[in-house]
Amino acid sequence: MFFGLPPTETLRGYRIWDSYFTPAFSHPGTDGSSKLINDIEKSMAAIQLGHFEKLCYFAHVGIGTTTDPELENLLRRKPELVLKPLERLPNKLLGMIQLNLQNPKGSLEALDQWVKNGPMLGVYFPGSGPAAANCLDPHATKVVERVSELGAVIMQHTWLKTGGKRSPNESTPMELATLASRYPRQKFICAHAGGEWEQGIRAVRDTPNVLIETSGFDATAGFIEMATRELGSKRIIFGSHLPSRSLGTELAKVITAQISEEEKKDILGRNYRKLLSVIQSRK
Amino acid sequence: MAFHRRELIHGALAAGTASMVAASEGEKSATTPLPSNVLPSNVLPPMSMPSKVIDTNVSLFHWPFRRLPLDEVNELCAKFQQLGITEAWAGSFEALLHRDLRKVNERLQKLCQKRAELIPVGAVNPNLPDWKHDLNLCLGRFAMPGVRLLPGYHGYALDDAVFGELLVTATKLGGFVQVVVAMEDTRTQSSSLQAPNVDPRPLQHWMQQIPDAKVQILNCRPSASDRQTFASIPRLTVDTSRVDGTDGVATLANAIGIDRVLYGSHSPFLIPEAACIRMVETGIPAVDVKAIMQENAEHFRITKSTLPHNQQR
Repeated sequence: MFFGLPPTETLRGYRIWDSYFTPAFSHPGTDGSSKLINDIEKSMAAIQLGHFEKLCYFAHVGIGTTTDPELENLLRRKPELVLKPLERLPNKLLGMIQLNLQNPKGSLEALDQWVKNGPMLGVYFPGSGPAAANCLDPHATKVVERVSELGAVIMQHTWLKTGGKRSPNESTPMELATLASRYPRQKFICAHAGGEWEQGIRAVRDTPNVLIETSGFDATAGFIEMATRELGSKRIIFGSHLPSRSLGTELAKVITAQISEEEKKDILGRNYRKLLSVIQSRK
Repeated sequence: MAFHRRELIHGALAAGTASMVAASEGEKSATTPLPSNVLPSNVLPPMSMPSKVIDTNVSLFHWPFRRLPLDEVNELCAKFQQLGITEAWAGSFEALLHRDLRKVNERLQKLCQKRAELIPVGAVNPNLPDWKHDLNLCLGRFAMPGVRLLPGYHGYALDDAVFGELLVTATKLGGFVQVVVAMEDTRTQSSSLQAPNVDPRPLQHWMQQIPDAKVQILNCRPSASDRQTFASIPRLTVDTSRVDGTDGVATLANAIGIDRVLYGSHSPFLIPEAACIRMVETGIPAVDVKAIMQENAEHFRITKSTLPHNQQR
């Protein structure tokens, strides 16, 4: 064991696919990509140390997901900027687009441009910032239906905070379960398992098309054990939240859990690969 | 000393960044995509685990809100052995809610006597009548090296006069003081028992007033503003347990000085491996890893009266 990490061959054997890579998450840089590239490079040591095979990040595509109007214009005028990270590390990075339910028309157009006709594999619904919207917002209906037609993946930010929501635009695992029950053939990823995972896991337990993502909160012991017990390892997807969280915090949750090695492989990559296979088969 | 090490960190980070940038520029200029298994191979400095590792922040007994996978002492110590942790400064989860702290500290002392690697750090609540009795027991009869305070759970702030009185007394008795600023993320606490994060800023005053005081902050997830605050407080040390971000430990060390960062895991509430892996991913040189995981804690623990004159700093 090297500083708490298993041997290289074990890590490689996990075939780690990271579903929640967040370089420059809220703003890619005024030129459209420099901050994003810097953050990717900042994460390289952790990526190398963890022997990650793939990482999925969430691109801004000029539909109002940042607070910077000039950047939004730039990304619309020069869509090639959106592709820069994928061109830089094409065999390492996967992409999804951040959607804006406050701009449903733009979101539907972006789906066609970037998912149907582009390289992106799914969509991300943020929980904060100008594009945040509660997942039960009526505008979600058409967007979710379109995502479903395309066979793409949905990652929904969720947090369940003591004392209640800080904004009505946040979503909880309970609300995501309600939304997901309306689309039983569409898979939804409940990002961060709701943060307060003891309730988050219970909230989605009876909604089998909801999977939970593992990042975005401290390395609280017992999380993966409870999630595996209540949901089964097939409904759990690893995320790193690098670079704002760490390999230590996020990978340790899974590799140290008291579950089987096969269950770890499910969580660290196998489930995510299966989820992405629908849209990947259409590209 | 601190400045020298800070330079080393800057150097290491600069070298690491340069190699990453070079590799990335190589990818770009070649216009040929990198194979999936290729990443810059020299992004981390050479590293080996120090032969002695001190975890300054663990807790024994049971977390009140759920059972934890390693909350039995034998399992926790087996994990320490597996990770190469040779010494762990242990507080008690019981201290969060119990008022009979004498018995809490006695149980802690007794349990630690069974395991050579466990060093007990008792709890004192200055809001309880006759708290000095607990302090004297901990630092006197129980011969603990320091005490652990839980202001968020015990209902006082660091600008309360009683905290200053406690710090003066502990310092006279030769003990250090650990201040727990949080036990868990405030967003995930029980709705019926919410403990606010402790504001560390009043420590500025006390650390100036009490020149020999030794204080360590535990369980802070430091923002940029926190780092500035810590840097401005003389001699204040900080544990690494919730210092997150892939470069979080290096950033903290750059801000406050490498010699003020002490390794801590906050296990078994947090997974012990998490803090350990962060020490290697943060990209600091082996000499600084050793300082954080061993030497700084050794120095912090030594009382002024027992420190050889030529090692005082």
